Amino acid sequence: MTFIVRQIDYKADGSEIVRQSVAEGDEIRIGRKGDNAIHLPDLAVNPEHAVVRAAGAGQITIESLSGQPFDVDGRSVESASVDAAKGAELRFGGHVIAVGLDDGSGHVTFSVRRTEAVSDSAEEKDTGFIYTLKGLLPGKRISAWGFAILVLVSCLAWPIWAWATYDDLAYQKDAERPAGFHGDKLWISGDLSLAHKSLSNDCQSCHVEPFVAVRDDACLTCHTEDAHEHAPLDRQLASRGQPTGFAAFRRFVSVSFNKPEGRCVECHTEHEGAGDMQPTQQQFCADCHDGMKSRLKDTELMNAADFGNSHPQFRPLVLVQPVRGADDKAPRKRISLDQRATEDNGIKFPHDLHLNKTGGVAQMGRRLSGKFGFGQNMVCEDCHKTDKNGTRFLPVNMEENCAMCHSLSFDKIGGTFRTLRHGEPDMVRADLRAFYRSTPPSRPINLGSLARQRPGAVNSRRTASDYARAVNFRGSRADQAIRQVFSRGGACFDCHQVTPPSAPGRVDFGIAPVAQTDRYMHKGWFSHEAHDDEECTSCHLAETSSDARDLLLPGIKDCRTCHVGESGASLTKVTKPVESTCAMCHDYHADEGAPWLMREADKKKSKTVTAGAAAKRVNGSASR
Amino acid sequence: MASAAEAPRRKTRERERQSSHDGFLRYAGFRWLKIATLLCVACLASYMLIDVQPRHNGGSWYGYTLGTIGAGLIIWLTFLGVRKRAMTPGGWSLKAWTSAHVYLGLSLIVIGTLHTGFQLGWNVHTLAWSLMMIVILSGLVGIYFYATLPQGLSTNRDEMTETQMIDALRSLDRQLHDAAQPLEPAQAALVQSSLEQDPFGGGFLARIANKYPGCKTRAAQSELRRQRAYQPRTGNDPLDKVDSLLERKEATMGRLRKHLQIKAMLQVWLYIHVPMTFALLAALSAHIVSVFFYW
Repeated sequence: MTFIVRQIDYKADGSEIVRQSVAEGDEIRIGRKGDNAIHLPDLAVNPEHAVVRAAGAGQITIESLSGQPFDVDGRSVESASVDAAKGAELRFGGHVIAVGLDDGSGHVTFSVRRTEAVSDSAEEKDTGFIYTLKGLLPGKRISAWGFAILVLVSCLAWPIWAWATYDDLAYQKDAERPAGFHGDKLWISGDLSLAHKSLSNDCQSCHVEPFVAVRDDACLTCHTEDAHEHAPLDRQLASRGQPTGFAAFRRFVSVSFNKPEGRCVECHTEHEGAGDMQPTQQQFCADCHDGMKSRLKDTELMNAADFGNSHPQFRPLVLVQPVRGADDKAPRKRISLDQRATEDNGIKFPHDLHLNKTGGVAQMGRRLSGKFGFGQNMVCEDCHKTDKNGTRFLPVNMEENCAMCHSLSFDKIGGTFRTLRHGEPDMVRADLRAFYRSTPPSRPINLGSLARQRPGAVNSRRTASDYARAVNFRGSRADQAIRQVFSRGGACFDCHQVTPPSAPGRVDFGIAPVAQTDRYMHKGWFSHEAHDDEECTSCHLAETSSDARDLLLPGIKDCRTCHVGESGASLTKVTKPVESTCAMCHDYHADEGAPWLMREADKKKSKTVTAGAAAKRVNGSASR
Repeated sequence: MASAAEAPRRKTRERERQSSHDGFLRYAGFRWLKIATLLCVACLASYMLIDVQPRHNGGSWYGYTLGTIGAGLIIWLTFLGVRKRAMTPGGWSLKAWTSAHVYLGLSLIVIGTLHTGFQLGWNVHTLAWSLMMIVILSGLVGIYFYATLPQGLSTNRDEMTETQMIDALRSLDRQLHDAAQPLEPAQAALVQSSLEQDPFGGGFLARIANKYPGCKTRAAQSELRRQRAYQPRTGNDPLDKVDSLLERKEATMGRLRKHLQIKAMLQVWLYIHVPMTFALLAALSAHIVSVFFYW
């Protein structure tokens, strides 16, 4: 039988080259070795891979010699029968052999083609591609889109969704979002201060409207009690004045970006980190109060910028005239301590006499020291007592603070002294009259007695008639005593201004009203307790004051011997400077109490004390 | 002209040469390095001098200023990708742009960080800052590679082009294929495995580390040598030729793989730099929107 073998190669231009050979015999072999009739130079093919045998007209069988399979029409087999008339495709390694019949001769033909490249490198390669990382890493474009979308969804869409699905927090003091993480918390720019920690889950309690900066009404939802208005907003803005230069530009920008001026949050900045809310700097005060008079013409306030070098003299609110009744009804006015300041409180009281280290007052104090605990001489606290906070002094009270020495006794019954009633002139008069009405004049020892009588009946009668006259006029002696007590040298007159009787001969003396001032500085704060290391007299020049009308308040100069400005500014050299911001004495949201800064300081102090005490207790129990 | 003739002869001045070999780092005598340094110093000084109360943060007027400058820079820097696809000569040449891109991009470390006021947290604002830092640092790595690797690339290439490299490989493969024809099936299979293996395969890690533990060429060579070690020398062993061809192929592959490694390093940073830039643009948008949303 004759087999025709056609080896087909390709030229570079793609056209085929066919080399035909003819093999005679009943069988031919397929393999890599050169002596095979069908020679396949293919390393995937065994040297003698298979044998082809004739099996009748146009029929052949193919059988593997090496035990290695081959493909027939795509199926892997080790032997196969093929009808050449119908044709078949054999595959050995990278070679394809088409089986068919030659049209002319009718011999079986094998058309051999190499379909796979010799090696991987011989395959077509895109040199613009293989030397890059394309295909080895996720593409830049896809990952750029992926990451961008991930960020937009998680950091923009989710927070907006969280905002859109919750809007009932605004202006609701007690409204809260459910616990857990809400998308808009991704937007937090810093932790809230301790004071607002409870709001950290409820962004919308402050950020009420989107794209609208936080407004005061959100703050005032909770701060109904403690946010006292400083001054009307229009006056505040006027006193701040028109900014110039860069400040004007900044205002233009913030107004353009919908940030109106004068909001709470301008001073009370938030999201500055967990911890105490930062106290406001005095620059915020000085923005308006420095040179305010030139911008707010009708203000009564003086300009101030820094305690150390730019603060007006104190202007305490002093009594103009005492009135009867409540002290706070008395007319008062503010006067500057630059003038010689006086105040008429209706009392006569020479401080110098009482504080003198020698003399009658000191001597009397020494004598009474056993009973009242006075020292070698009288000192301020013998008469002036602080209130319960130690901030200010209680009004001086006659019975408690003066009567130790200034006794109003007028009679003694048994061991008990009867005293005139303080503050009640009518009762004084009545008591004195009662005294003279109910007590006889002292009986002369020679009356009705023989013991010490001058000889002669006439003397005895004279004594009797004198006594009878004394008894007769005993009642009228009362007026004389009343006049005495209200007149120079009398108990009332020593300390009080006495109003004369309504008509000559009458005794309806009156006492001028008395009022005491418990607080002179109403716009500022001063605590005596904070200054208890100091002697009273180092600020109050009481030792040299001989007139009760002297206002013994220290001026700003005295304060400045210790207190300097926020950053240390001072007009004179201060050895132990106490840096003092506006907020040490003044409060933006002022009430009658101490300023916020001092209250916070007190809170901290008491916390430290409590903690210290607790530590002591723990240590104590441990040692036990 | 007489006056010209009487004029003293001046020494010929050296012509100002315009060197085209300056890289983008040295462009115009480090012009952009100087500008970026000036910018950083100005930002640092103003940060120290301007007293923002209670402390520096992105929400003060100063913070907004830095933020605006930073955001503008980021957007401009991103435009290098657009710009490099449209080449123009001169002062605004691509080299100038790249130089400015590098140095202004580095200055963003200072501007962006000062903008934060060093207040970082788990939020969109810090995310934007972190992405910015990742982009800048990956760019820094890129600059380092660009400055150090091309020398090695050139040395390794030994004046071969990439096409020549693969052609050499193809030629060796063809020769190997021919030389292996007389071999036993088992030996032929070893050679075949070397031929069939993709010289560009192995994945990203193999390429960047230049470590190919599954290299069939090396395996075939060592196995064939092992087998041959026990065979008598006949002087006409086809394995001799195969062995020498495999050795040459391995040397060529070594060069190719070194080339691929260096090229991978020159490209890999961009796979972080570019996607992170787009993530940054998204985070920056979210950052800005969030600030105004909860104004």
